[in-house]
Amino acid sequence: MNFATIGQNIVKLTAKYWDKFLLTGMGYTLSLAAITVAVGAILGALIAFMRMSKIAPLRWIAGIYTEIIRGTPMLLQLYLFYFALPQLVPLLKKQQYACVAIALVCNSAAYVSEIIRSGIQAVDIGQTEAARSLGMSHKLTMTQIILPQAIKNILPALGNEFIMIVKDTSLASTFFIGDLMTQVLVVKGATYLTIEPLIMVAIIYFVLTFVLTKLLGVFERRLRRGDIR
Amino acid sequence: MATSDKLIQVKDLKKYYNGDAIKALDGVSVDINKGDVMVIIGPSGSGKSTFLRSLNLLETPTSGSIIFEGTDITQKKGPDGKKLNIDLHREKMGMVFQHFNLFPHKTILQNMTLAPVKVKGMSQEEADKKAMELLGRVGLADRANAYPIQLSGGQKQRVAIVRALAMEPDVMLFDEPTSALDPEMVGEVLDVMKKLAQEGMTMVVVTHEMGFAREVGSRILFMADGKLLEEGTPDAVFNHPQNPRLQDFLSKVL
Repeated sequence: MNFATIGQNIVKLTAKYWDKFLLTGMGYTLSLAAITVAVGAILGALIAFMRMSKIAPLRWIAGIYTEIIRGTPMLLQLYLFYFALPQLVPLLKKQQYACVAIALVCNSAAYVSEIIRSGIQAVDIGQTEAARSLGMSHKLTMTQIILPQAIKNILPALGNEFIMIVKDTSLASTFFIGDLMTQVLVVKGATYLTIEPLIMVAIIYFVLTFVLTKLLGVFERRLRRGDIR
Repeated sequence: MATSDKLIQVKDLKKYYNGDAIKALDGVSVDINKGDVMVIIGPSGSGKSTFLRSLNLLETPTSGSIIFEGTDITQKKGPDGKKLNIDLHREKMGMVFQHFNLFPHKTILQNMTLAPVKVKGMSQEEADKKAMELLGRVGLADRANAYPIQLSGGQKQRVAIVRALAMEPDVMLFDEPTSALDPEMVGEVLDVMKKLAQEGMTMVVVTHEMGFAREVGSRILFMADGKLLEEGTPDAVFNHPQNPRLQDFLSKVL
């Protein structure tokens, strides 16, 4: 292995395949991550509220769901959804992207539900007691007192989940979905070069997550500034 | 004494945990009359706080009844046969907590007007006016737009008291209101409570401040092991205690 050759190859590959990496690959990766976070957050909120419900069967269903998703490998879940979904839902036949997106959403929802649940339960019980003792209903207490405080616990953790998901979408390359990792396989197939496309995509992933981390940091500082005033 | 004077009637109240392994309250019966300043004393773990928190059902009693202004609030259904809405009764019982429990994301004024506006349907201007008047009474009108984190412990507790008063309750429940305060701030909170008692507010106070109990209390209750062991005027309880447990307790705290 020769570093100079690798460097030259990367320059060549960048010139020839930049659109594959920066347009197609990044497009698929970011769109998958965005869908997963957006739908996963809504579904996760729903599961979190089910877990805290007064109705026992709802609690059980949400609990079992979360445990199964968290207790099995994500790659296995992807395989299962990829092969089982088209057979269960005819509409999803040959819709590989949709199947993978659904699998990622279902996975993320379980983790997000735990983030939301713990964020809500981290708010001091005294807040609920004070609100209820003033005659406020459960709903009013939630919307006026608990959720505005819980959101400060939830958002930073949700940001971390987003960064995790950006990286986790690389598993979609198993099914040639078109994300960054898939482009590694494409370029490798066309050029017989392995290390160079890997390094290039590693740099792209790193820049993506690094920028996201910094943006989140700014956002978190803004949230915290609200505490002092 | 006529029944109309009885604000809260507590009958054989029990609160058990783990089946009946832990008896936090073991059959407490007491009538709280309008204008009473009832001070509950007793050693830690005697069930004082559990009793107080049961009065507005922050704790659900295992058995017994609490009749507040003619309604047994421990029942699922009200006298009209409809589902009992505990919120309607809670708004008439102000509560002050050991740890203040102000809402940190709202200003002092917002803390005080939220429930009057959202629960009682008061207009914001009317609620603001009333809140400012109450804040003036405890000397905190200039802090109306501050956030709780900017106040001292004593100031927070005074705000917590007027926040409860803003709902115009018929009774005020105090759960160790000075226990979390620095010693030099205890006085300012007790002064507010004393003024309130002089104005005729019905109060139930759980406290370790024996001086306050003796000076301001109209009735003293001594609790131990979840039971009400002795009850009487401050003079009777502090100067002529009958129960050996009370005598032992007083010898340690006085």
